[in-house]
Amino acid sequence: MSAPGLFDRRLIFVLGKGGVGKSVVAATLGTAWARAGKRVVIAEVADQHRLSDLFANREETRNTPTELAPNLFGFSVDVDKSTEDYLAAHIRVRPLVDLLVRSRTFHNFAAAAPGLPELVTLGKVWELAMAVDGGRPVWDKVIVDCPATGHGIALLQTAGNVSELAAQGPVRDQAHRIEEVVKHPAATGIAIVARPEELPVTEAIDAAAALRADGFPVAATIMNGMTPRRFWAEDASVLGRVPGGDPTITAAVRSALRADHHARIEQAHLDELAAGTGTTPMVLPDLGPVVIAQSELALLADALDGAPRSLRPVGHP
Amino acid sequence: MSLSGLEGRRVIVCCGSGGVGKTTISAGIALALANRGARVAVVTIDPARRLAAALGLAELGDDPRQVPIGPTGGSGELWALQLDAKATFDRLVCRHAPTPEAAERILANRIYAHLSGAVAGSQEYMAVERLNELTDDPRFEVVVLDTPPAQNALDFLDAPTRITHFIEGKSLRMLLSPGAAAGNLGWRMLHAGSSTVFSILERVTGAQLLRDLSEFLGAFDGMYTGFSERAERVRTLLHSPRAAFVVVSSADDEPVREAVMLVERLTADGYPLGPAVMNRIRPRADLPPPPRHALVEALAGAGATHADDLADRTLAQLADDEARARRDHDACTRLARLLGDREPVQVPDFADEPVEIAGLEHVADALAR
Ligand SMILES: Nc1ncnc2c1ncn2[C@@H]1O[C@H](COP(=O)(O)OP(=O)(O)OP(=O)(O)O)[C@@H](O)[C@H]1O
Ligand SMILES: Nc1ncnc2c1ncn2[C@@H]1O[C@H](COP(=O)(O)OP(=O)(O)OP(=O)(O)O)[C@@H](O)[C@H]1O
Ligand SMILES: [Mg+2]
Ligand SMILES: [Mg+2]
Repeated sequence: MSAPGLFDRRLIFVLGKGGVGKSVVAATLGTAWARAGKRVVIAEVADQHRLSDLFANREETRNTPTELAPNLFGFSVDVDKSTEDYLAAHIRVRPLVDLLVRSRTFHNFAAAAPGLPELVTLGKVWELAMAVDGGRPVWDKVIVDCPATGHGIALLQTAGNVSELAAQGPVRDQAHRIEEVVKHPAATGIAIVARPEELPVTEAIDAAAALRADGFPVAATIMNGMTPRRFWAEDASVLGRVPGGDPTITAAVRSALRADHHARIEQAHLDELAAGTGTTPMVLPDLGPVVIAQSELALLADALDGAPRSLRPVGHP
Repeated sequence: MSLSGLEGRRVIVCCGSGGVGKTTISAGIALALANRGARVAVVTIDPARRLAAALGLAELGDDPRQVPIGPTGGSGELWALQLDAKATFDRLVCRHAPTPEAAERILANRIYAHLSGAVAGSQEYMAVERLNELTDDPRFEVVVLDTPPAQNALDFLDAPTRITHFIEGKSLRMLLSPGAAAGNLGWRMLHAGSSTVFSILERVTGAQLLRDLSEFLGAFDGMYTGFSERAERVRTLLHSPRAAFVVVSSADDEPVREAVMLVERLTADGYPLGPAVMNRIRPRADLPPPPRHALVEALAGAGATHADDLADRTLAQLADDEARARRDHDACTRLARLLGDREPVQVPDFADEPVEIAGLEHVADALAR
């Protein structure tokens, strides 16, 4: 499919400003890859539960894969549960682990310890990417639906921070192993999502620069919600010449001219995203005021695959 | 409403889901109040570059800057600043450290560097701490606080407690020296005074990290009370009728759901609500579409080579606009119903993003209507 930058990487982080469509894009990538026969898991972090909405999935699962569609699984990373797993793996005295886990004191501590929730989250994601069964990787693709930009970047940086902070010992070693994987361009690809608007695009460009400066593999950008273009330069000049008079005609012409103006702004934002990140953004169309569910995700996956997109006008089911 | 619901408040907090326009609406509210004669400071978080430029925040630094605005009713002034969480945290430390040396020691501590620089938690905590500083500042009558994008839009209300607890280190001390945990029988019985937990934790974290951590907690010793007093002061202010929470939403499903959840949680926790704002609402058409033949004729007259085709696309556009406007309208109605028929204030979706003062004036007008 037309996601060359992401094609051969197992671990994909989907990052971007709040509300730009990270969850929708993660689900779209997952849908496209699962259709192509890959075994895919989408990891949700930081207590979001968007996948269950998108796939009308009733099951609330924590830290276990749940099937959303053929070949496509969801995995909701639970920080408490992951912390417990982590402790269990390192402190082999089970009663002590139980005691820690049941203690509210410990929970308070763990929730505020800088970087700890992020580290166990990233550790869980890393485990998914490294899991093997009978010598073969369990997952072909692990897609991480990250929290909004600042928190998303913090999540990625946490392994490096902790390995620096701890200096030595098992925590450091583990953090270092994770850091190596999330920075390795053969293993990991970061996909930055934007919408064709000023702030999301600026944020995407800044995030790409910050991540690259830190040695993270920014592999792709995705412009989500581009309005399918309906008018062209020659249309605009004709529309501009329609004389006033009939107010209903004037209103219709104004609506078309506004759409054309809007499309140019969107195009300018797309060019800016491309130039500012040095990528060729993948484009996903705006589907209009619909509730996004599986059939919409299939449409978006078609667009990713470059299949002739149905020219369904915006807003018409 | 609209702004009448906000008159006389000392602090206005704008919250809502990611990307709905919290920063824009905060600036719009601040401008509208300044236009009515108040001296207002708005604390923005990550404003768009052009908005930052328009507010005079292009350079770094989190000092309030006065923004030149048009003539206002009386002595209105608009001031803007951009939250710098680390700088705010550093000031907080310097304010409460018993000696300059103690402050230095904390600022140089590696754990402190990570804590104060961490996005998660620190930004939320410092947004709230900034309220303390600004409400003490006699230059301002009103402070409008934009909130950081967080997974949970109310994280910033919990962050102060979470972080001051961590700094207090009670939980850690309890873990490390069970004897200190008075009343916690389970711990004492299991480890009566021993440092088993310490040595086991050390196995996991390495000695260095634990050493740094205890140094960090040691450095903060005695400062905890000052910190928690300040956190408590904001909590009291935010619960008082001098505060108002403005929940911002767009017409998308997710944000509306989040807005309703926010309102419920704020109400349950006893925070005073201001009006809800529905941002980026497109207006319904007030005219029916033109008859197709009339449109074709008009377009042909204007020189269209394929007037039929262009007319169809134009009519399709008109229908799409209307579908969106209807969806937006329905979302407003739904939100009003869910909020117990309190009409949300509507701000239109502007063709040009309101990232300059002129654009913000339109936002302010819509809010004041
Ligand atoms: N291509 C699209 N066409 C139409 N609507 C879309 C499209 N992409 C996303 N949306 C809608 O935009 C909203 C935000 O999408 P989504 O939840 O995926 O964003 P997000 O970046 O994950 O948000 P958050 O930062 O809150 O996690 C949703 O209501 C979704 O249905
Ligand atoms: N009424 C409006 N009309 C047109 N554009 C708007 C309007 N309100 C906000 N915008 C634009 O929408 C984008 C998001 O707005 P803003 O940055 O204020 O949202 P936010 O809620 O603060 O986002 P974040 O959660 O990332 O902090 C910006 O590009 C802004 O210029
Ligand atoms: Mg999401
Ligand atoms: Mg903002």
